[in-house]
Order: sequence, then C-alpha cells, then structure tokens
Amino acid sequence: MRWIGSAALVLLVACGGKKDDGPAPGAPPDAKKLTLTLDWVPEPEFGGFYQARESGAFGKQGLDVTIKARGQGDTWKLVAQGQTDFATTAADQVLIARDRGADVVAVFAVYQTSPQAIMVHAARGFTKIDDVFTHTGVLEAEDVTWLRFLRKKFPDAQVKVTANAPGIATFLANGELSKQCFITSEPIQARARDSDPATFLIAEAGYNPYTTVVIARGEMVRNDPATIKKLVAAMREGWRAYLDDPGPMNAKMGELNREMDAKTFAESARLQHPLIETEETKKTSLGAMTKERWQTLGQQLVDLAVIKQPPTMDCFATF
Amino acid sequence: MIKRVGPPLAVLVVGLALVELYVRARGTPIYLVPRPSQVLDTLIAERGYLASALWTTAKAGLIGFALSALLGMAIAVGLASSVWVRRAFAPYTIFFQTVPIIAIAPMLSIWLSPGLKAVAACAFIVSVFPVIANTLAGLLATDAALLDLFRLYGASRTATMFRLRLPAALPSVFTGLQVAAGLAVIGTVVAEFLVGELGEEQGLGVVIVSASHNGHSDRVFAAVLLASALGLAMLGAVGFARRAVLANWHAPARE
Amino acid sequence: MTGCSVKLEGVRHVFPNGVIALAAMDLEVAAGEFLAILGPSGCGKSTLLRIVAGLERPSAGRVVVGENRTKHGVAYVFQDAHLLPWRTVLNNAALPLELQGVERARRNEVAAEVLAKVGLGDALDRYPAQLSGGMRMRVSLARAMVTEPALLLLDEPFAALDEITRQRLDEQLRELWRARGMTVIFVTHSTGEAVFLAERAVVMSPRPGRIVADHRISLPAARTGELRATAEFAQQTRSIYEALDRGAA
Repeated sequence: MRWIGSAALVLLVACGGKKDDGPAPGAPPDAKKLTLTLDWVPEPEFGGFYQARESGAFGKQGLDVTIKARGQGDTWKLVAQGQTDFATTAADQVLIARDRGADVVAVFAVYQTSPQAIMVHAARGFTKIDDVFTHTGVLEAEDVTWLRFLRKKFPDAQVKVTANAPGIATFLANGELSKQCFITSEPIQARARDSDPATFLIAEAGYNPYTTVVIARGEMVRNDPATIKKLVAAMREGWRAYLDDPGPMNAKMGELNREMDAKTFAESARLQHPLIETEETKKTSLGAMTKERWQTLGQQLVDLAVIKQPPTMDCFATF
Repeated sequence: MIKRVGPPLAVLVVGLALVELYVRARGTPIYLVPRPSQVLDTLIAERGYLASALWTTAKAGLIGFALSALLGMAIAVGLASSVWVRRAFAPYTIFFQTVPIIAIAPMLSIWLSPGLKAVAACAFIVSVFPVIANTLAGLLATDAALLDLFRLYGASRTATMFRLRLPAALPSVFTGLQVAAGLAVIGTVVAEFLVGELGEEQGLGVVIVSASHNGHSDRVFAAVLLASALGLAMLGAVGFARRAVLANWHAPARE
Repeated sequence: MTGCSVKLEGVRHVFPNGVIALAAMDLEVAAGEFLAILGPSGCGKSTLLRIVAGLERPSAGRVVVGENRTKHGVAYVFQDAHLLPWRTVLNNAALPLELQGVERARRNEVAAEVLAKVGLGDALDRYPAQLSGGMRMRVSLARAMVTEPALLLLDEPFAALDEITRQRLDEQLRELWRARGMTVIFVTHSTGEAVFLAERAVVMSPRPGRIVADHRISLPAARTGELRATAEFAQQTRSIYEALDRGAA
C-alpha cells in the first residue's frame, strides 16, 4: 500500500526482517509452522500480531507463526502464489485480487475504521475534506481506490494532485501542500517537527475499507478452517493484550524499527485504539467483519470501475 | 533498412509468441504475467490514455536530456579549462552518478514544485554524469600536435577550446549523450513514481504504479513497453544526430 | 618575403625524468637557408625543432630567431598531417590565418592559392577522411605556408608515405622554398631526402644530441627527380651516410 516509503526503508527492514525469524516463544515442538507477511515495517499497526507471538498466544494454539515485516509489492500476490500463508493488506486490495483471479480470503480485520487520511496545514482553516479539493494547492497522494473515490466525489477539484513524495519534507516545506497519511503515522512526525497538521479521515467521506486485514488462501480457509480459527483466536488474544498495554510490545517493535522513537510508538498506539476497538467490536469481537461493509465496499469499487462485478460474500470468513 | 530492422523484429515476434504460448499453457495468473496479446489489446483499447501519458513522460525526459546535454557539456568545458578547477570540482560530479533519486526527489519537489519541473530535474540528475565524464575524457584527449599548432599561432584559450578541443571531443560527447538518452527516460519514469503529477498530466511512471496497485498487469506492461519505445526513439535520435554531425569525420560514423 | 636567421648558443635540454636530450648545442642557420638535420632515432632532433619553434624552453642556452619569432612567423609541420577532421581542406589550410584574425574572404583566397600550388586546387571542399595520406600531408604543408612564415620547421613530415609520394612531395617542398625563400629546417633520417632537399646537412649524435658533422651539399639549385639517378647525388649521399655512421659509432 505505502509502496514509496517501502523502497526507502528497504535497508531498515532487511535488518528488521532477520530479527523476526526464529521460533516463537512457547510454541510446542510439533507446532504448525506458518508465516505472516506484513505490508509494512513493525509499527503499532501490527502490535497485536507481535504480541500474539511474544506472549505465546500462537504457541498456545499449536501454531508457530513467523512474522516477516513488509512483503515486496502487493502482499496478496505472495499469498495467492503460496509464498506466505498469511499477509496483511487492505479490504479493497482483497476485492481487486479476487477480481483478478487470485483466491484470497479475509479472515481478520485490525482497523474497523481506516486510518487512511489527508493531512493539511491547520492554518489553512479547512473544516472538511471537501476543502482539500475545492481549494488550489497540491495534494500528494497515490492513485489508489480512495483517491479515485474522492476525485469522483469532487469532480471540479482545484487541487493539483501529484505522486506521494517519500517522507514528510514536502509537507513541512509547503504550506499549500496536503498529503495522504495514516493518522497514526505522518501527522505525529509532522507535529514532532513543529508543524500543525489537521487531518481528515477518508472514512468520513464515505469510503471505509477494513484496513490491515489478514488474508489467507481460499483453499486453506475451506479445507483447514480449524487452523484459521486457531490463528484468529490467537490474534484476537494478542490484540486484546496489546490494546490494554501497548508499552512492552512497542519497545520490542522499536528494536526492529529504529526509524520510529518510543514517543511516536506510544502516540500512534493511542491514536489507533478507537479505530480498532469500536462499539461494534465490543459487541462482537476484535477483528470482526460484516457482510454489509463488504457489500458496500464491493459496490463502491464497481462504481469506480476498479472491479467488474460485485464480489461474492466468500471474500471474507469469520471465526 | 530491412536488413537492419528485420532480425531484431523477428526476435521480438518469436519471443512474444513463446511467452504467449507459455503463459497460456501454464495458465499463469494474469496478475503475474499478462499475455502479450492482452498487452497489445490494452495498447489499442487505451491508446488515448497511454498516448497522453507517453507525451507527458516524453516532455519531461526530453527536457531532462536537453539539460544534461547542455549543462553536462558546459560543466565538462569548465572542468577541462584548468587542472586546478578539475582537481577541486571533478570529485563532486560523482554526486550525480551516485545520488539515489528517492532521496533527492522530495527536495526537488520542494524547490521546483512537484510535477513536470521536478521530474525533469530528476531526469537531468540521473543522466548528466555520462555526458560530463565522456565530454571531459574527450576534451582531455586532444591531439597534442594540434594543441602545439594552436599555441604556435597564438590562439587564445577560448579559441583553442571551441575551435579545437570541443569539436575534437564530439565523438566522445555523443557516446555520453547516447548513454544519457536511455538514463533520462529511466530517470523520468522513476521520478514520476515519486513526484509526478496525477490526473490529466500523468506520465507513464504514474500509470505503471497506479495500474500495478490496481492489479492491471496488462496496463503495467503496456506502459513499460511505451517507456522502452521512448528510450529507443531518443537513442535513435541521438544516433542519427551523431551520424549527421560526424558524417565527414571518419569511417565508423558511416558504418 | 625572405627567411630569417636562426642561432642556437649552448642549448641544453634535460627532460623532467632527468634524461639529457641535448648537450651544449651550437648551431647557426643563415637567413633563407635549407638545412637538413639527420640523426638516429631519439637523438633529440624533434626536441631541437620544438625548442626552435618556441614550443619548449631549453634548460640552458639561448635561441635567437631573426629579430623575434612573432615578427617573422614560424610554421611547423608534424610527422603526420594532423588535420581537423571536421573541416574541409580549404578551412584546414586557412586555420592559421583564422587564428590570427584574418577575415574570411582574404584567408580563403590565400589558402586556395597555396593549395593550388601543392596540387590540391580541385579538392578544396573535401574532408580529410576523403583524402589519401599524401594529399593530407600536402594540406598540412599548405597550412604551414599560408602565413608566409620566415621560418619553416618540418619534423620527418613525409616519413609515413610511400616512396613515390614522398619524392613528389620533396620536389614540391623544394619548389616552395625556391619560390618563397624562407629558412627551412627539415628533420629526417633519410640521407637521400636530405641531399635532395637541402643546401646543408648537419648530423647529430645519439643522445645526448650534439652536432658531429656539418656538410654543405653542392648540387644545382634546380633539382628534379632525375637528379636522384646521378653520380653526384650518390656521392653526396654517401659522404653524409658516412658522417652519420661515424656519429653513431
């Protein structure tokens, strides 16, 4: 998803990735070996997964899960091709993958509300996301589904859209520049550099795909649901523990991701909490997904001509 | 003409046919490798969209290349003018060769505003070094006897540079320009990934990334194909200019 | 136009690597004289010529060219033609005038005239790549002559050419000298060429170079190809050859 930064962080992750390997604590010797590929570097966004590994939640379920930070390119291709058992991606990517003939199924959704947002300089006095498009200036963003959704929604946009330059330097330097972000990431960095960003969630404009969604091969979901069920249970346990006390796991991930300091980890974890644990999940469970949400997203993607027809509802599975 | 174009064309056709057969036989998923026939369909069906992207990329690439040619030669002339200037500055020209564009693109985007200018500047930075290096090598390899001759007739440094050293360096200059032409296209496409404009004025680099995000591998390959064609066209144009300029020089230019 | 005198007094030259190229060298060349310098390879002939031309400063000693070099004009012809491949024959020959700031029409007129004298009147618009080796050398000769130099220095100019071409060029050079009367210093290692061309030949020893023989060539002023077949020619050639041989010993 955030492919640009990925390239910049290749070195970092090359080191981090190695440290990730090795057996998880508490895994029984006959544990089922599985791999989970993350679509980014170790960050609070993945805190619950590391928690599940470190606390032995996976092991308790008889699973030995190796976490690999950041897969190259689109992680769904790695899953479809059998190079990893599970990976994280966003819900719209799941539907695109299926539309292109890849048999991948969503089994767990970390973010109920997508952290995808646009940050603007607060001094501009914008009050809603519409302002970003109805004013002149520059918007740095990737040409992905949510941007298409917004451009369709604001057909007479004044803003000039350009590729999303790596880092936040361009944002800091240009008071007329807005930039795509995860509200759990770039705005925190910007604030640390004495900038005053305001953020608008894309979700509030009506486009809200589940994000950091764990996917598996459809064939595995159908033939070995027991393993998926164990995996999801362990993840749920990991996320519960992480949300309750992110400190220890932030420290652990901080060792793998030197680019992010402890303060940023803590702030990011705090900001993401309400996006992960919602009124909905309190009634059901962490990572839960609903048919309605998938149908809405499917229709939006059809309307944007990103996929050809509405998805079948075996695109996700709940356990 | 047929003798020169025929063999590579045959290789292309046979190669594509083999890919087509292989992909069909293996049932390789489209999202990994598109069938050549699909890429061709995409090229035709989306010709308007792709042509406008090609034009955007070509503009930035040509501007970057032109800057490389002019500034690269100017820098080389400056470096060749004195041993001290060369000793002091030559090491820094390596910067152009080694700087990762991903590190510098955001800065260029800040200074020049994102879009065409920043992209062309990246293309320039990526492609200028071979022009400097080759021009400089040519300028430093001037026939010593001719330098003596110019000295004998009291020619000024300027006259020696522009009537002897620079024209004598032209074969090297063209070698540099040929390398630069290819690099300028690569630089443009990569820069478009990073700081290119999206929407009406979007180049092939943006098309490649967007299509890749949205799982349209056929469009990715179509855009890559057009970028290669652009590189070939620029290389061909430099080759043509080389033959035209050096036509009277010596045998190699005539082939 | 007439030639200028050249005088070398105690000229010594040491290369930066310490090798002594010329040891205390004294030489006087009269105005309008045609002098050939002979010697084994590496005896410092070329260095001597470069010092006379002012392209090299001697480590010690003094060189006097007429009143001064600039006033009289010095031209130099190299071992190879060294033409500019991007210029036509005419523009190559006119180059020295161009560098001296002579306006285009005038310099083209002069260059065309000299080129006609060396037999290239109908090749003005051709490029060096389209010429034979002999023709290129003639352009080089014409280029040296366009400024009407009082002193013409030639460093084994025809050594790379075949015998016939070389003899023809020797004859043309001799013609030019007779017509123009400049001083010529001609470095060669061919005794026959020296005898045919020059009025006087000096022989240099191997490095460090110094003059070991000074020989006046008594042959008629008007010289043609037939001269080479005569007994006097053979006689002159032999005495120079012997001097060369003694010097080398």
